[in-house]
Amino acid sequence: MDFTFSREAKALRRMVRAFVEKEVAPIAAEIDREHRVPLGVMRKLGKTGLLGVCFPQEYGGMGAGEVGYCILMEELGRVCTSTATNVGAHIGIGAMAIHVDGTEEQKLRYLAPLARGEQFAAFGLTESNAGSDAANISTRAVRDGDEWVVNGGKVYITNGGYADVVTLIAVTDPALGARGGVTAFIVESDWPGFEVAREEDKMGIRGTSTAELVFDDLRVPHENVLGKVGEGFVTFMKALDMGRLTLGAACLGGAQAALDWSVAWARTREQFGTQLAQKQSIQWMIADLATEVEALRSLVYRVAWMVDTGQPFTELAAMCKLYGSEVASRAVDMAVQIHGGLGYSRDYPIERAFRDARIAEIFEGTNEIQRIVIASRIFREHGVRISP
Amino acid sequence: MRILVILRRVLDPAGLVAHARLRRLFINREEYLIEPGDHAALEAALRIKDGGGAEVVVVSGQPEPDDDTLRRGLAMGADRAIYLSGAGFADADDGVAAEVLKATVERLGGADLVLVGMTRLDTGQAQLGPRLAGALGWPQIVGAWSVEIADGRIRAVRRDGDDYVIVETDLPAVVTVPAKALEPRYPDGARLINVYRGEGGMAEAVLQWDVADLMDPEGLVPLLEGRGRDFPPERERGVRVEGSIEEAAQAVAEALRGRRPG
Repeated sequence: MDFTFSREAKALRRMVRAFVEKEVAPIAAEIDREHRVPLGVMRKLGKTGLLGVCFPQEYGGMGAGEVGYCILMEELGRVCTSTATNVGAHIGIGAMAIHVDGTEEQKLRYLAPLARGEQFAAFGLTESNAGSDAANISTRAVRDGDEWVVNGGKVYITNGGYADVVTLIAVTDPALGARGGVTAFIVESDWPGFEVAREEDKMGIRGTSTAELVFDDLRVPHENVLGKVGEGFVTFMKALDMGRLTLGAACLGGAQAALDWSVAWARTREQFGTQLAQKQSIQWMIADLATEVEALRSLVYRVAWMVDTGQPFTELAAMCKLYGSEVASRAVDMAVQIHGGLGYSRDYPIERAFRDARIAEIFEGTNEIQRIVIASRIFREHGVRISP
Repeated sequence: MRILVILRRVLDPAGLVAHARLRRLFINREEYLIEPGDHAALEAALRIKDGGGAEVVVVSGQPEPDDDTLRRGLAMGADRAIYLSGAGFADADDGVAAEVLKATVERLGGADLVLVGMTRLDTGQAQLGPRLAGALGWPQIVGAWSVEIADGRIRAVRRDGDDYVIVETDLPAVVTVPAKALEPRYPDGARLINVYRGEGGMAEAVLQWDVADLMDPEGLVPLLEGRGRDFPPERERGVRVEGSIEEAAQAVAEALRGRRPG
């Protein structure tokens, strides 16, 4: 067993950290306050190649694999959850769906510009009546010669307000439902019939776009079917597995930041004549959190290694997302407590981190859904099929 | 047009703690940076390459052959890297380094321009560029905030007090670049990965030359000798000034007047 990061991984982390400290950290508070997507940062990330971190070089990527992608997300999550979310929706699910099941032509036409950050992607799964129950979608696609005509809509689509390319799923055979009756498509947001209906006003990750999309006779050429007709749900679940792992990596960064702030404050703050660091109540909080952060780090990078070595990882990705989001939430909660009034003030980044952390327990499959994924895998090995 | 850029590594000061009372330097995190002036010099070379084409060769002589310094240079866009191995060069003083680099330029079949950082972050020495220019017998520009090539001549902007001065010289030349002159670009992501994996032609881009093959190491006599480290005396504590703003300002002014030399 060897748990050390390779020289390549260390060099990548150094590059990402330098970028994040210089380009992302200075705007993190501002984009939250102004409710603004940092498109300039996204384009710069694209120019360096980082938006293609895990995609093959023949499609404009870096070829740094899932470990590289987790490093990017951890470092972004340390400084700005909004930027991590924009990047995660772009790479981890939007473009990832094309990476996992796209044809050669689709990868050259769509994945390459996405990997280079010349275009941005979103992932259209959730609908108003299909959240956790993702199979219950009602957006409909009907074949018309060489085209499909899509009608319906999607809600809570991260990057939806500015994405150039959206991978979405629609019902193509209502009789078959999720098993054989749902197909994935690649659509371009400037096609007639694609409309951004509204943007959500959210508690946290305010530097992101979360949009409602409406499709009104949106005509999609047949060559833009992603994967096989009827198997869209499989394509989307494969992309989500990747997204969940890297969301765990972003949570790792967030939790580490909360720990770092707390340690720094416990060193400097004095009450009753001694540093907070001398109080056992504080020591235990720090010790417990540091333990959880290390456990999360081990889980995230072990699963990333499993992806890079071609091993099955579905329930482990769910564990990354579940445990990562809960550790991150506990971490920011503890950071607020240790900082007291300072942690509650908008003048410090902890208040933003506290609001930002909550979403990770909800999106990319609620934590309840992650528990179902994990439990169903466990029980399946024992011959028990569980239904959600 | 061939540009040689010298890349040295320095300890990241963020990983150091100087303990004045114990008179000791603690290395908490041993991380190395490309000397910031050299980093800016590489950026200057790459801008010339972007503008009109040039071959950019980076050269380094750090203790371990597997050092990251040259790889970072390649990832930023350098075409070739030369690692100078062999005893003595890594810790050489600037006089010895200049002789070795002169031999390197000759082995390379010449260069049109050598770029190097003006002042080292760690030792504060600023002799390498001028000594190398002396050894090569080339003109030099010290402290160039920007470097351009036009009509076979080099044109650089230097700072002179509060003014900027444009200076020109013929090629070949040696130019030194201050650390803050140019913002170095980020490495190219795919290149960075290829450099570490030795793919995409990156394995062939790295040459290893032994100093002993370039010249007779016996002839290299350092001008400087390190005899140990010491700390400056601890600073005296300041004085707290009490009273109203006017009284405090008066006290500060008097204290400053008392300190003025002469």
